[in-house]
Amino acid sequence: MSGEEEENAAELKIGEEFLKAKCLMNCEVALILEHKYEQLQQMSDDPMNQVSQVFEKSLQYVKRFSRYKNPDAVRQVREYQLAEFELCVLGNLCPETVEEAIAMVPSIKTKGRAHDDDAIERMLNDLSLIKKFE
Amino acid sequence: MQLHPRHFGRNLRENLVSDLMKDAEGTCSGRHGFVVAITGIENIGKGLIRDGTGFVTFPVKYQCVMGFFAEAGPVQFFVSNHLIPDDMEFQSGDMPNYTTSDGSVKIQKDSEVRLKIIGTRVDATEIFCIGTTKDDFLGVINDPTTT
Repeated sequence: MSGEEEENAAELKIGEEFLKAKCLMNCEVALILEHKYEQLQQMSDDPMNQVSQVFEKSLQYVKRFSRYKNPDAVRQVREYQLAEFELCVLGNLCPETVEEAIAMVPSIKTKGRAHDDDAIERMLNDLSLIKKFE
Repeated sequence: MQLHPRHFGRNLRENLVSDLMKDAEGTCSGRHGFVVAITGIENIGKGLIRDGTGFVTFPVKYQCVMGFFAEAGPVQFFVSNHLIPDDMEFQSGDMPNYTTSDGSVKIQKDSEVRLKIIGTRVDATEIFCIGTTKDDFLGVINDPTTT
């Protein structure tokens, strides 16, 4: 790999280019790809032939693993005070317990951040309520 | 491994190993799973001449990498036996699978698993990753649309 300073997602050291790039959740990617696919459908009889295998597989994957169905729910999830990368991993995996959340995104528990177990649990509850009532 | 006499000579061992790789890699062993890659030759025994044919048979002991392949969107993964929980064992048959000793958890074709990427290889057309299912909260997942 690039051999610059140690990159480590668990510590939120994710490299400059990724800090500047926007992170999307599966459901957001699904919206974008489906929109593009619909545009192709309007322009041609056989849209599946117009797209690459990468597009097809990606669309299939994000549709299967989308957690939130509507843009409002996604907007609510994005309001949390977390790094975008962390938000997206949590939004994609929807951990059920605090233990699971910390295992998936170790950086939310690192020293100095205002996230104790109770705060994390409240956030997970909110995330699942957002899903329930969308 | 059987070898034709034309391969005898200085390169006997190399020919044997390359034939072994061609024959065994990519196949499925009933007991252990997919032979993905041969990683080392432990021992090549004395050759036995087969009566009537002139071929010589050598017993070869080798080590190899076993495991399963997976896909996440356009990305390909390989998870080696070493990175699958110890209590999961390979079961051969019509639907080969990895199962826990009590039969409660199974990984087979079309199963959905959560895995952690521990290494990647990127080239011009694809990304290939090595993954593990050995940590907490990894492995077979329940249907996410019902959570």
